[in-house]
Formats: sequence, C-alpha cells, structure tokens
Amino acid sequence: MSKPQGRKKKEIRKKEGEVSRRSVLKMGAAAGAATVLSPIILTSKKSSVFGQTGVAEPVLCAPTPVPQSPPHTPFVDDLPVPFPAVPQFLSPAPTKNANIAGGEAARDPHQRWEEFNPSVTYQLEARAGTHQFHRDYLPTYIWGFNGKYPGPTILNAYGVPSLVRFKNSLPLTTSSFGTNKTTIHLHNGHTASESDGFAGDFFDTGLFKDNHYANAYAGIDDFGGFPKGDPREAQHTMWYHDHLMAETANNNYLGMNGAYFLYDQTSPPWEFNTPGSVRLPAFYGLTDFPLILAQKRFCATDTANGRTEAFQVIGAAAPSTDKFTVNGKIQPKLSVRRRKYRFRIINTGVVLPFTLSLHGPDGAQKPMTVVSSDGNLLHEPADCSATSGFPLLEVHVASRMDVVIDFSQFSVGQSVYLKENTQTPQFVSTPTPPDPAPGVPIGTVVMRFDVVGNAIIPDTPPIPDTLVELPPIPAASNPPFEWGFRFIPGRPNAFRVSHSAIPENNQNHVDTDLPFDPFRADHAVLKGSTEEWIIRNDTLAGNWLHPVHIHLEEGRVIERAVCTVPSATGCLPANRTVQAMPPWEDGNNARRDVYPVAGQQSLKIRLAFRDFVGRYLIHCHNMNHEDAFMMVRWDVVETAAELRRRREEINADRIARGEAPLYRKEDLG
Amino acid sequence: MKRRNFFTSLGSDKPSGALRAPVQGVPHVASPGPAIFTNALLRTHENKEVRFYDDLIRGKQVLINLMYATCEGTCPIVTSNLVKVYETLKNRMGKDLFMYSMTVKPEDDDPTALKDYAEMHGALLPGWTFLTGDPYDLETIRYRLFRMDHILIDTDIYSHTSFLLIINDATNRWLHVDPQASLSTVLKKISWADPPKTREQIMEENRKLQEQIDKERKKYGYRMNA
Ligand SMILES: [Cu+2]
Repeated sequence: MSKPQGRKKKEIRKKEGEVSRRSVLKMGAAAGAATVLSPIILTSKKSSVFGQTGVAEPVLCAPTPVPQSPPHTPFVDDLPVPFPAVPQFLSPAPTKNANIAGGEAARDPHQRWEEFNPSVTYQLEARAGTHQFHRDYLPTYIWGFNGKYPGPTILNAYGVPSLVRFKNSLPLTTSSFGTNKTTIHLHNGHTASESDGFAGDFFDTGLFKDNHYANAYAGIDDFGGFPKGDPREAQHTMWYHDHLMAETANNNYLGMNGAYFLYDQTSPPWEFNTPGSVRLPAFYGLTDFPLILAQKRFCATDTANGRTEAFQVIGAAAPSTDKFTVNGKIQPKLSVRRRKYRFRIINTGVVLPFTLSLHGPDGAQKPMTVVSSDGNLLHEPADCSATSGFPLLEVHVASRMDVVIDFSQFSVGQSVYLKENTQTPQFVSTPTPPDPAPGVPIGTVVMRFDVVGNAIIPDTPPIPDTLVELPPIPAASNPPFEWGFRFIPGRPNAFRVSHSAIPENNQNHVDTDLPFDPFRADHAVLKGSTEEWIIRNDTLAGNWLHPVHIHLEEGRVIERAVCTVPSATGCLPANRTVQAMPPWEDGNNARRDVYPVAGQQSLKIRLAFRDFVGRYLIHCHNMNHEDAFMMVRWDVVETAAELRRRREEINADRIARGEAPLYRKEDLG
Repeated sequence: MKRRNFFTSLGSDKPSGALRAPVQGVPHVASPGPAIFTNALLRTHENKEVRFYDDLIRGKQVLINLMYATCEGTCPIVTSNLVKVYETLKNRMGKDLFMYSMTVKPEDDDPTALKDYAEMHGALLPGWTFLTGDPYDLETIRYRLFRMDHILIDTDIYSHTSFLLIINDATNRWLHVDPQASLSTVLKKISWADPPKTREQIMEENRKLQEQIDKERKKYGYRMNA
C-alpha cells in the first residue's frame, strides 16, 4: 500500500472516532436520566454503548440503475493474511448449561462437555467496522468478527477441544442491509447441534453464544486413542460464517465469515519431517494461505462520507456482482518464491461458483495439484491442468479446494495468474487494461502471483502419490432417501425429501411444498446409523445449479448421474446415465460436504451419522437460495424408540398435509 | 407433533408502550422516503385516493405483498396465510402495523375487484388495504421494491406473489419473507423489523426461550420445537 493512501485511511479512522464520541455525547445529553437506555449506559463495561458500535452507518446508493463499481488499478494491494485468532480466558467462564444470567443465548446443554472440556478458548465479536477493499477505494462499511473482514483465522489442532464465544455486538438498528441477529456455523465441523449454528438458533445484540468444538475426529464412539475418533475422518480446512435463517446472504455479503484450520499429524502446521506428516507446505501466512474468495459490487465512492459502500438493495437477495475479492482485496498480488505453496481456496460466495485455472506469463495453463477437497485430504492428489482431463477447478459456494502450486517451474521475475472462467469478468477500469497474459483478459484474473526469488525456506518434498487412506465407504441403507429440487410456479426450486421406494412421494404438492421451518424436521436418523441419500435437481439442464451442503458429517459420492428424460416427478432408473466425476469428488478418492447438482443431475452419496444428536440442516449453499428456504431440517436421534416415534410423527404430519408418508413400516425401526 | 411454537406464545402481538417508543441515540440513516417509494396517487379497495409514501409508509411498520384478483394457485394460499398473520397480530393491525396488498394487474383490478377478492378471502379487515392505480406507478413501485436481480425470476409474475416485504420506515429497516413459510417464521421475520428492544427485553426473551427449551427437554428428552 502506498504512503499517501495509508495516511488518508488514518484520517478517515479518526473521523469515525469523532462521530462515535459525538453521538455518544449527544445521546447522553438528549437521553438525560429518564430514558430506558440510561441503565444500560451505566452498566456498560466498555466505552461502547449497547447496540452502538461507533461506526457511522452506511448511506446506501440508489438501487436503480444498478451501479458499476468504481474502477481499480490491478495488482497494487498485497494479499492480506487474516491474523490468527488469539486464545483468551473468558469471563464469565464457559459452562455446560447456557449461562442465561450472564448473557448467553438459550441453548441445549453442551454434549460430551466433560469428555472434551475446552482447553483453548477464543472470543469473536460480531460488530460493525470498516474495511478497505482496494487502495483506490475509501473504506467500506462491514460487519465482521472482531470488526474485521475476513474474520481472524482460527488455528486449532485435533485433540485440543476448543470453545469460541461468539458475541453479538451488531448495531441495534442499522441502515445497512444486514440483520442484527446471528448464529454461527463452523462449516463443516463435526459439531454438536447446539454449537452447530443451526439457522433457527439465532440470538440478539447484547448476547453471546459459546460454540463448543470438540476437535475430535468423527467416530468418537467407535475409536479410542488420542485424538479420539477415526483419524481417517480428519478435516483440515473449514470456515465459520453467519447462518441466520433467511438473511445469510446479506450478513455474509457484509463480511461475517472467516477461516478455521485444524491441524493433526498428517497435516501439521510445520513442514519438518514428523511422524505421519504428508509434508505439504504448512507455515501459515508464509507457505500456506487461505484464499477467501468473494463476489462484490460497490457504490460510487462517496467522498463526503469518506466511504465506498458495498452495493445492495435493502430488503432484497444479494445483487449481481462485478468484482472478485481475495482475503478482502480486489485483484491483489502475492510475492512468492520458487518453491511449493499450499492455497486453501474457500468460496464464500455469496452466490456463484468460481471455476479456476492457473496461467503462466505466456498465458499457457499451468498445473495446480489438488490435495484436498472440502477440507479433506484426497486419497491421491490430482492435477487440475490442461492435460489431466480436468482443466477447471470448480469451487462452489462454501466448498474448499486446497491446491499446491509449485512456483519452482517459473523463473524469478515472472508473474502467474489465477483465472476465473465462468463468471462475468469483473469491471476493472475504462478503457479496459490490456490482457496481462495472452488469453487471460484482465477482468478474469482473481489474483496475481509474482515470483520474486529463490526459496528461502527449503521446499517441501514432492507431493506423495498417496496422501491418506480413506475410511471405508459406509454401507448402504437401501432404498435411499432422495432430496430433490422441483420447479413449481411460485415456488421455484422447492426442496423436498422423498423416499425412493414410495413413488407417491415424488408428486408435487403445490399446496404443501413447505419452505424451511426451524420447528419442523422432515427426516430423522438414528445416531450411529448410515444412509444412502440421492440429491437430485429435477429442473431442466441450464437452470440453477445447487451446491447442496449437509451439516455434521462428510459424505462419499458414489455416483453422479444425469437424467436423460427429465421429469418433475423424479428420474426412472433406466433414464439415469452415469457421468464421470473428478478425482476430488469421487467417493473412492474424496470426502465431501458440498454436493453441486445441475439441472437434471443427481448425486448418490453415503453418510454415517455419528457421535452427536440434535437438529441439523441440508440446504443449498447459494446463499440467496438458502435464504429462499431451499433448506430442510433433519434430526439425529439417540435411540431406536425415539427414531420410531419421530418417524411416525413425520408420517402423520405428511398425511395430515395430504402427502404420502415418507417411511415404510420397515423404516420405522 | 404439537405445533405450539415459542414465538406465538411470547405475546408478540401485544403493542407495548416501551417497545414502541423510539430508542433515542441509536443512529441510523433516515428513510429515503419518496425517492425510493414514490409518492404515487393510488386507489384503495374502498375507492379512496392515497399517497403511497405520505399516507401509507411514512413512519410506519408495514407489510407489502403483490397479488392480482384472478390469480389462482399461489395468491389464494398466500392471502390465506396472510389472514393468519393478521389474526395473530390483530392487536397491532391498523395501529402500528399495516398490511398492503398491491395488484400487479391494475388494468383488470379496479377497487371493486379488489374488494371482492378481499371479501372472498376473508381479508376485508381494518388495517389491511388493497391497492390499485396507474399501471406505470404500480410497475415503478414493483420494480423498486420487489425487483429480483435475476431476469428469469423477475419476469415470472408468480415469483412476486410469494414475497412479503417488511418495512419499518421509522427505523429504515427492510426485510422480506416467503409468505408460504410457516406462521411462526413469518411472525419472527416481521418482529425483526420491530423497533429495537432494550437490553432488558432481550435478556427476558432469552430467559423465556431457555425455560421453553428446558420444559421440552424434560417432557420429550430433547429440544423439540423451542
Ligand atoms: Cu440453490
């Protein structure tokens, strides 16, 4: 960042500080001693007043015509690295039962609390702040954890149970498009329901909620050892984000997310040769980077208010966008040395997939080695390259793809480009600057890597041909349950569950195709059981692709198929044509938690439900779609008797709505 | 399964003096007013002339949906759901909460047609106004308030009829909800546009929710509907 701009930023900070002091003073004077707020002022420990953040609220630009974002100069800002979250002691101390008197949000008691008593605790405060997305921009109003976008990266290890106190300090009233309630999901932690950020478990400004992360592998009940659980279920790259029902897109678009890395002996935070390590580039911020991708649009810079605000139509779904950001910067650059680097690509959306490829200075495609998909190391790494058969790396919203790029193939002084291949190229400036490399238009470049020298930290050894052994694919519980998107007038892409052995389930019920309701579970499964699920998109090819996310457990994709004869009532087995899957999706090589299904496509997956009970979600992770309630609650229950009772209730509810039951006699257990 | 949800039992239908008082000192940017809403001259189902912003929106908490009198399928479902919303919140309706149903076919829907529609669906209720007017004005309002940034959906008239806009003009708060969602979900979202609560109110609601969770855990062994 150049000097004069830095000074400008400081001046604006000062200006905002004044605003906050002034408004607090004004408030004190106007409110006197008589208003309901005065006790709050007196009891407030911090200088901030309850519901106020000291950050001037945004003045949003006119919604029509949709503005073009201000121009920017490519590759002037360095890629920021979100600061690691700092562990801290919490006061009041975390408790198994919600500390209601102390201001904790209501919840179920923590499961397995004594078994995984947290030894590391953090506090992340959701609050308003400002963030500068580009050197050429003024600060933008954001909501972020600890007021930052992206939020601090949580670096944690298996075997070290942790607890994150999420505090809601969002403004009590807001002129932004966000909604000041929150519930935070660690995507895709193996997390107890009460700490899983269930969409209906939101809490208000002034409250906090302790999310307990056991940091144990799935399979705690079946595997002893340390860390507990099946080490083959390790997950390394996750992210935490707001999951507020119906408002997830806006709150994430405002900045409410961050990265969460989990280390273990296969993927430790160092590169030295230690037992079990697959020895990937691993020094956070030096050779191992989160690349938090997002899509944005901005209003014209408002010099009077000292802001370049994010564009959004209040009360609406997230807008179409014309800028990409990486770790909160538009078209940043990263200086790299001639060695291997690990990049953990996280698509935080909020709507569109990134479809990436890597290009050298001559424009030729260069290989990226995919080592992990959705945070899970692959059995065998696979190249995304012009010759591997998989030239494009699709990173759907919420999906994580970890790639290793070997910059030793380039010479010092060369630049390498990460290209986006399917979204509308971003607006850079007028006239459009020349292509930085042949066949790589400037608007398609997400970021640039500059090879500045030879390695200082010795390179890691070649990536092994086999990274990890995967646990066996769970046995099938035939016949599968099916989760389908249907196109119904007035309810585009309704998302419902059905049973493949009950054909009447597949009828559309216009009057009963209910949107998500946090109070209604549409499916119940037994803890410790496994099931086969089919996720299908019965809309026609070319309609929206839905990146479906399932909470709690990683799944194994055993078949991807396309329906050659589309039908709103499902696909006859004879019309299902199996399609090839990339090695980072195929269940024999990968574990996933985001399952993209395009129109007429279906995915068959197997899942085990282990260790925790309670309310979980399956939903489309296009955040506009989940806000439109393409989301269903399903529950994990403890005992066979409870399963029977819950399934009978679900059947009865369906029959009462005029639908066919979901469960046959033999499914009741 | 018992459907008595926490939210409906909270008594959110009662207007409370303290709750409705504007909270001083909480800064926000004022409503853009007619610049967004327009101040178009509209006609109600009672054949009264009203100014859209000045008479219907200014300083109020409102619920707005789109419909047309001959709409089958979605509209009647949505309208019957909105009747349920109305009944739950009837103590507030016409006092500090207002419901507006605007036609997207003003050419066909004159005040009489709207009144017949309202009567047929049990929606002829105080505080619930059906609106028609000049097609240009109504299309402008639809475009500004209900535009969907997705051309396929925006041109599909059905998708607009399953969209309830929730606006509190006094605090400049905008939200939307799918009116086909459950009653408790719709009520919850409407409450998100209520004037800001005090810390005491938030703590008290939270305490009640925990009570409800504990009660259910005692009864069923797990949290059910709270
Ligand atoms: Cu979707």
